[in-house]
Amino acid sequence: MASIELHNLTFHYPDAAAPALTDLTLSVQGGEFVVLSGPSGSGKSTLLRLLKREVSPGGRLSGSILLDERQLEAWPAREAASAVGLVMQHPDNQLVVDTVEHELAFGMENFGFDRSAMRRRMAELAGFFGLEPLMSRRTDELSGGQKQMVNLASVLMLQPRLLLLDEPLAQLDPLAARELLGMIKRLNDEWGMTVLMSEHRIDDILPLADRVLRLDRGRLAFDGPPRQFAQEAWRRQDPAWVEALPAITRWALSHDGSDSIRAAETPPLSVKEARQWMHRRAVQAAPLSPAGPAQSLGTDVAHKPLLRADGLFFAYDKRSPAVMRGLEWTIRQGDRIALFGGNGSGKSTLLQLLAGLLQPQRGEVFVEGAKLRRLPAAARYARIGYLAQNPLLHFAYDTLQEDLLHAARRAASANPAEEVRRMAERFGLQDLLQRHPHDLSGGERQLGALALALVSRPQLLLLDEPTKGIDALAKSRLAGHLLAAHETGATLVVATHDVEFAAAYANRCSLLFQGEIVADDEPDTFFRGNLFYAPPLHRLFHNQTPSPVEQAVLR
Amino acid sequence: MNEGFGVRSLHPSVLLLYYAGGMTFGMLLFHPVILFSGWAASMVFNFHVDGGKEWRRWSIPAISSFVFLMIVNPLLSHRGRTVLYYLGDIPITLESVVYGATMAASLLNLITLFLSYRVLMTEHKFLYLFARLSPKAALLVMMASALVPRLRRRLQELMLVQKMRGITVTEGSLVQRARNGTRLVGTLLSWTLEDALQTADSMQARGYGTGPRSSYPAFRFRWRDAIAAAGLVAAAVVVFGLWVGGHGFLTIYPKLGAFGLSAGDRAAMLFYLVYLLLPLGWEWRDRKAWQALNSTT
Repeated sequence: MASIELHNLTFHYPDAAAPALTDLTLSVQGGEFVVLSGPSGSGKSTLLRLLKREVSPGGRLSGSILLDERQLEAWPAREAASAVGLVMQHPDNQLVVDTVEHELAFGMENFGFDRSAMRRRMAELAGFFGLEPLMSRRTDELSGGQKQMVNLASVLMLQPRLLLLDEPLAQLDPLAARELLGMIKRLNDEWGMTVLMSEHRIDDILPLADRVLRLDRGRLAFDGPPRQFAQEAWRRQDPAWVEALPAITRWALSHDGSDSIRAAETPPLSVKEARQWMHRRAVQAAPLSPAGPAQSLGTDVAHKPLLRADGLFFAYDKRSPAVMRGLEWTIRQGDRIALFGGNGSGKSTLLQLLAGLLQPQRGEVFVEGAKLRRLPAAARYARIGYLAQNPLLHFAYDTLQEDLLHAARRAASANPAEEVRRMAERFGLQDLLQRHPHDLSGGERQLGALALALVSRPQLLLLDEPTKGIDALAKSRLAGHLLAAHETGATLVVATHDVEFAAAYANRCSLLFQGEIVADDEPDTFFRGNLFYAPPLHRLFHNQTPSPVEQAVLR
Repeated sequence: MNEGFGVRSLHPSVLLLYYAGGMTFGMLLFHPVILFSGWAASMVFNFHVDGGKEWRRWSIPAISSFVFLMIVNPLLSHRGRTVLYYLGDIPITLESVVYGATMAASLLNLITLFLSYRVLMTEHKFLYLFARLSPKAALLVMMASALVPRLRRRLQELMLVQKMRGITVTEGSLVQRARNGTRLVGTLLSWTLEDALQTADSMQARGYGTGPRSSYPAFRFRWRDAIAAAGLVAAAVVVFGLWVGGHGFLTIYPKLGAFGLSAGDRAAMLFYLVYLLLPLGWEWRDRKAWQALNSTT
C-alpha cells in the first residue's frame, strides 16, 4: 500500500520550450486504482516515469514527489527499485532473457535473492498468473498477450507496493487486453496494490477504476471518480474528452439530453448498467443507426469486382498447419471492408497474399480478371497498397521527407518535390518532414506510412490494424484520411479488432476463421448476429432484436 | 523428451565431466580394438538416449569421413617398414594402413559421442554451466539468444514490406542491391537500438545494477549426480593409470607390434567401456521403475 503525493510538480525537458508537466498537485491513496487519461503528448508517460526513479527522464524538476510520505529521492536505491513496479507499452522490448522462467527470475537475481526464496516466489506467482505451462517456453514464441502477462508477473516478483502501467494494453488485441486488465483489477482488489495506469482506450477501464486523472498539456484537467468524469466530459462537449468515453455512456448521455443531467443521476459505464438504466427510465431501444456514413454505400451491387481470391491455400512451411484453406473472397470496387478474426487467424497473412507479397501454394488472386502474380512487381505494388501493422516497417530513410521523395520518384511523379509538399499538407505533416521517422509519435508514424502508400494512388489499400496503439483523436483523424482516400477512388480493406471503428467507417464486414471467410455482410446485419464481434451498443440492444432461435423459427 | 528421466536427469556438471573424459580417452587410447568397442558403447548410449535419431541424421557424414581418413592416410604417409604393395611408385605400408584405421576409429568415436552430447547438453544446461564461470557473460549470451530470433523475424518483415518500395536485394544492379542491403540493415539496426533503450529501462526498472546479483538455480545436484560423478572419476582414474603404465595403445611405427591385447590392454578396455556405459545405469534404473509402476497398475 503506497500513497503518492505530488506538490507543485513542474518538469521541463532539457530542450523543450514549454514544460512537460506544470504545477501538478495531487495525491493517490494506498490501494486506489487510478486511471491516467489524456491525449498523446499530454505528459502521462513523463509523470509515470518521474514516479519510477530508475527510468526518470533527465530535465529540470521543481516541486516534490512523496512516496509513502517520504521524498522519492530519499529512498535507498534497492528499496526504491522494488517498491515501484513499471510495465510499459511494448511487450517485446521489456523482455530481457530467453525463457519465461528466467525472465521471471531476472528481477530477483538483480536483488541477489537466495535460491529457495526465488523458487518460492516463482511458485506462488506463476500459479497466480497461470504461467506454469509456459515456464520452459522461449519468450519469443509467446503471443503478445502472454508476453505482457509475463512482463507484469516479472515486475510483481519484487512485490512492489505501487504498480505503474504505461499504456500496457495498447499493443494487445481486445481479448488479451481484457484478460490482462482483469489480472490488474485482481491485483488491486485482492492484494490492495496501488495501481496507476495510463491508457488511450479508457472505455474498458472506466468501470473498474476508482478515480480518473486527466492531463491536458501537462496540467491536471480533471481529478475525480469515473462517473463524474463522464459527466464532466459530456458537459464540455470537447471531442477529445467525449471520445474517451465508452460508446454506451455516450449513447446514454445523448439520450438524456443535455438539460436533465443531474448530479444524482449517474451515467452507465457498462452494458449491464446501461440495461438497468434503460429499465429504470423505461427507455425503449431506438432502432440501431450507428453514426457515420455506414449505410450510404451499403447494398450497391452494381460495383464490379476489383480483386478476387480463388481457393487460396497457404502455409508458412510444410510442417506447420495451413493458414489459408481454400479461401474465396471478392473485393468490389468502392468497398470499405473491415476484416475481423481472432488472434493468429491469419488476417495479416491474408492481406499480404492479396497484396502479392506472399505467394499462395494453391489458388490464385485476380486483379480485375488478370492474375496478380503475372503483373510486373512495380505495377502490382503501385496498384495495391499495403500498410503493415507496424508503420515503422515502411520507412527506410533518415527523414520523412526523403522517404516521401523516394516514394514519389518511384511512382514516376512529374514533380516529386511538389508531390511531397502536397502529401505533407494533406496529412498535416509539414512540420515533421525533417524528423527521423523514429522520432515521430505512433499516430504520426501511421499517417506518414499512409502518405507513403498513397503516393502511388493505389486502387486498393490494405491496412493491417491501423488503429493499434493510437489515441481516439488520432484515430478519428486517420479515419478521416481513409474516407478521403476512398472518395478519390481507393477501395479499402482494414484488418482490425476495433469493432467501433469498423462500425463507423466500414460498409462491409468480413470474418476470417480457420483459413476461410465465414461471414461477409453489411455492418448492421453482420453485427446483429454477433455477441463478441459487436460494438457495445449492439450488445446492449441484442435482446431487442430477434434471437437466433426466433430467426430459425421465422424461416 | 523427459528431462527428469534417466541420463537426462543428471546434473550438467556431471554430463560435462562425462563428455570431457570420454573425449580425452577417445584420443589417448590408440588401439583399433579398444576404439571400435568404445564406438560400439557410444552407439549403445546414443540409441538409449534418442533411439538413434541423431545418429541416423549424421551417419552419412560420420561414416564418409571415417572412410576418407582410412584411405587418405596410407596414400600420404609412407612411414613403416612393412610395404604391402606399390601404387605406381607410391609405397603403401601396413603401418600407415593400421594407423589410418585407428585414427579414423578415434574420429568416429568422437563424432558419435558428440551426437549424444548435442541431445543431452541442451542450451539451457550449457548456459547454466557457463553462468557459474561468468554470470555477466552468461547474461549477455542469454540476452543475445533472445535477440537473435527477434532480429531475424524483423528483418524478414522489413524485407517483405520494403520490397514494395523497391528497396530489395533480389533485383537491380549489384551496386543497387548493395546499397539497398545496407539501407535495410541500417534501418533494422536503428530500430533495434531504439528498442534496446526500452529493454535497458525494463532492466533498470527491475533493479539491475543496484547491487550484487545472484543466479536462479535451474538445476540441483542430487545424490544420483554424486554417485554418477564418483563412479566416472573412479573408472577414469583406473583407465588413466593403465595408460600411464603403457597400456591401451598399439605400437605402430616404425614396425607394427603385436595386435593382440595384453592383460593391461584388456583391463584398460574394460574400464573404458565401464566409463562410457556407466551413466546408462540411471537410464536402466528409471526404465525399471516405470515398468514396475506399469505392471502394478
